[in-house]
Amino acid sequence: MHLVVQALILGTLTGGVYALMASGQTLIFGIMKVINLAQGAYVVLGAYLTMSLFQWTHIDPFLLILLTTPILFFVGAATQWFLLRPLRPADATELSLLVTFAVALGLEGLMSVMYKTTLRSIQPGYENHSWTIAGYQVNEVRFYAFLLSIAMLVILYLILQKTKFGRAIRATVQNPMSAQLLGVNSNLVSAFGFGLGVATSAAAGAVFGLITPFNPGSHYDLISRLLTVVILGGLGSIGGSVIAAMVMGVGAALVSALSAPVWSDFTFFAVLIIVLLVRPRGMFGAKVRGAL
Amino acid sequence: MSRNGLLRGGLFFASLISFPFLTTSQWLTNMFIFTLMYVALSSSWNLVGGYAGYPSLGHAAFFGFGAYFTAIVFQNSVGNGWPPFIFLPVVGIVAALLSIPIGYVAMKTRADVFAIVTITVLFMAQSLAFNLHAVTGGAQGKGVAVPPFDSSTYGRPFYFAMLALVALAMGSSMYFRQSKIGLSLSAIRSDEDKAHGVGVQVTKVKVVAFALSVGLTAMVGGIWAYYEGFVYPQFAVDPLITIGMVLMTFLGGRATLWGPVLGAFILVPAQQYLSYQLGANQFYLLAYAGIFLVTMLILPRGILPTISDKLRLKKKQKEALA
Amino acid sequence: MKLSNTKVSKRGMITAGVLSAALITSSLLSTVGVAANAASPLKIGVSLSLTGDFSDSGLAAQRGYLLWQQEVNKKGGILGRSVSIKIVNDASSPDQVVTNYTNLITKDKVDIVMGPFSSLLTIPASRVAKRYGYSFIEPAGGGPKVFAEKNPNLFFVQPAATTKGGDVFADYILSLPASQRPKTAGYVKLDDPFAAPLADNIKARFEAAGIKTVYDQTYPSETADMTPVVSALAAKNPDVVVGGTQSADAFAQVKAMIQLKFSPKWLFLSNGASSPLEFPQQIGANNTEGVFTSSDWYPKSTAPGTAAFIKAYVAKYGGAATSIDSTSTEAYSAGTLLEEVAAKTGKIDNKTIIATLHKGSWPTLEGNLSWNAYGEPQGSYLLTQWIGGALTTVWPKATAQHAPVAPKPAWKN
Repeated sequence: MHLVVQALILGTLTGGVYALMASGQTLIFGIMKVINLAQGAYVVLGAYLTMSLFQWTHIDPFLLILLTTPILFFVGAATQWFLLRPLRPADATELSLLVTFAVALGLEGLMSVMYKTTLRSIQPGYENHSWTIAGYQVNEVRFYAFLLSIAMLVILYLILQKTKFGRAIRATVQNPMSAQLLGVNSNLVSAFGFGLGVATSAAAGAVFGLITPFNPGSHYDLISRLLTVVILGGLGSIGGSVIAAMVMGVGAALVSALSAPVWSDFTFFAVLIIVLLVRPRGMFGAKVRGAL
Repeated sequence: MSRNGLLRGGLFFASLISFPFLTTSQWLTNMFIFTLMYVALSSSWNLVGGYAGYPSLGHAAFFGFGAYFTAIVFQNSVGNGWPPFIFLPVVGIVAALLSIPIGYVAMKTRADVFAIVTITVLFMAQSLAFNLHAVTGGAQGKGVAVPPFDSSTYGRPFYFAMLALVALAMGSSMYFRQSKIGLSLSAIRSDEDKAHGVGVQVTKVKVVAFALSVGLTAMVGGIWAYYEGFVYPQFAVDPLITIGMVLMTFLGGRATLWGPVLGAFILVPAQQYLSYQLGANQFYLLAYAGIFLVTMLILPRGILPTISDKLRLKKKQKEALA
Repeated sequence: MKLSNTKVSKRGMITAGVLSAALITSSLLSTVGVAANAASPLKIGVSLSLTGDFSDSGLAAQRGYLLWQQEVNKKGGILGRSVSIKIVNDASSPDQVVTNYTNLITKDKVDIVMGPFSSLLTIPASRVAKRYGYSFIEPAGGGPKVFAEKNPNLFFVQPAATTKGGDVFADYILSLPASQRPKTAGYVKLDDPFAAPLADNIKARFEAAGIKTVYDQTYPSETADMTPVVSALAAKNPDVVVGGTQSADAFAQVKAMIQLKFSPKWLFLSNGASSPLEFPQQIGANNTEGVFTSSDWYPKSTAPGTAAFIKAYVAKYGGAATSIDSTSTEAYSAGTLLEEVAAKTGKIDNKTIIATLHKGSWPTLEGNLSWNAYGEPQGSYLLTQWIGGALTTVWPKATAQHAPVAPKPAWKN
């Protein structure tokens, strides 16, 4: 029983981190119907940026997020503006897969040149601290990361629901044509939306770098996990992907702790396929396509 | 088939058949083996991903199946070296049969969901290759026996086997373009519901195309395993193989006969050459991504369709002027 | 609907034709090579994984090879021929490694090839080398399947098969009086050709000696989060934990143990913990204390040439003796073996190398190496332990710098 509870705690905390990573990707898919294969690479980029800034300034990595978020926002917006905007609408969905994959490769190459391929991690000195609560171990960094995820998701929610820009995004998602007629510049909205989606990987990268050793190649593992979460969550529903991330985090932790870790992926994928076949829009698929 | 087309095809295969007799260069033969491998793979992928518009990301699962099938059957002996090639049709047929239920279920979904379902199939296949130790050898991998071929012409049998599969894949592709199945697939691609409405046997056609496509893919996997000599799960069931097929087809032009061929002939030698010549510095990935992005932005629909559109436009302009 | 594309496919044909013509021409040009003579440089070809999954060790191997090239050329090369190493990248891809060795041998016509890194690429690469009668001295890739290839041209430049890396730890534990031995053991293994069998070898010996197995699980290589697995291990509270680890997963295991406040009395990690720089960086320098690992080389080694090697390494790459990755040492040793063969026979060609290395024992930085018929080295690894912040040899007693320290102190974080 102790083990089950401990696994639940671990899984919940990990799930929170995945929720944070997946929220950006979900946002991008929701707005542009683009499956962004570079999201994992942006997360790794966020991790490297945080690491470099931390080594240079010795400011706490969690505070550095305030600095790295705008940087990644511009990187993301630039990606959309220069590489995705020129695609013709007819091929955009399929070609964007390839373009974002190329971006992922390019980022991996760039980071390999700049940082080599040695495994790195961000070490503020408290990354392995845990609180012991009633015999259970709660890792500090993961706990902060969990809180941060919630905070970021709330901010994202507020931006989408309460700001003019958010309304423009939602209008574009629901009906690009009429949004355009109403004077919404859909190119600008897409660039902002993509920027926003990528900006979340600043926080996600900081957290990722704190809890896991990483190198430029880490984005392959990340993207396969993120895709799973996003799909399970219903492609484009942020709420759904949060729940999916939690389910995946807790599920993986329970399988790893209680049975054989080698079969955890297989079990997981089998469940995913069944979900997709029964509910092709994911477990929590948005009824109205495009509703965030 | 048009006379020109026949001529072109004849020329293409004649030059490829005569190639090994013109040069004994081992490294060229080797490079062509990998190039033809991807010509065959992307032409096979094109049958489903191009003509039917079902972007399968799971083909590497069947590639791996073929690789393991060959490796397991021939782990101890390959006789005079030829049996693994003779055995290939069995590999292809078994893979095709195996794919029928998978294709039937997976093709109930469409577009992005289909892509995800199939890539999930790929991950499950890799997981099985790792975990079924007794059959696959697990992470330890599985070796194929060494054929007694002479080292000076070692690559030739593999070259011709790959070439035969290229012919098979391109032949299927050509058949698709000229037959009812091709028309049905096109109809499915442009609007599946409408196709169903006008009486196209949607499910049957899709499943047949999928089975043919992955059967060919598995046969390529069989030759690959034999040529490499050793199979590990992470290499035999590798998402990068799928990505390669998709990329080359997109680059050359989807749903065309020569598009996947062209895509493979550009990308494989470029990749192998770049990696060999520039690989010792880390700029290799950057160069690759750069080429990739530029192609996508300049030739978004693939090389062949883009050029053909341009030509058609010019012709129209000329006609308009005349 | 558009099913015909006759015009453009001509372009495709032309492109393909031009490309193949270009390739054929360049191959013809390259076959008009220069005849080798005694003064021409000795060309050595190596393919390394400089990008991709295995690239970090690939780079360490590259440093070792290039350092050896510099040092041997300072001494005037081999038999008066300067040594020139061509290093190419296989990007951790099995297709590329076959291409690279085929190109090195048949296009660049190098005189000698040496082994790749990663080890998973060793078998395909060694088959190409064997096909052309090349010797294959390789510093990485010493799993059972490599030797099962029965390739007489292959020589693995480490003291023993990689999967025997844990034998020294078992030797040490079983040398303890029964009352002081661990009673229970847990095994956490990476599913890979080297790590898991290594831990299984230890397990077999421990079980035979009555040490009870309370936890035994394998995890797949993509496992990023080790905490759930380690929480299950910790729940069984074994006295000794044997981690069949490779690199990132070793760090993740230790981090998980720290976070879960589980500190076994003995902790052995097959790989990862042997990395002098990364291990303390990843888990925190004050947490390394007492962790066991095995290695083939250590900076205070008494093998001849060690001091000169360290001096040259530090001069070329900076850092300190303790920051040298043993992969660099292995690659360097692969080079020095060639020198020794040449010094002994006065010849340097593949037949001579193969015939000569099969006889006798060969001093390298890795110690004295000798091989069975299929390249499996006949020595054993050293048991090392992190003591006072440095990797210290503790077993076998003859080469030990310090006695093993047990139990492991609690984690500091």
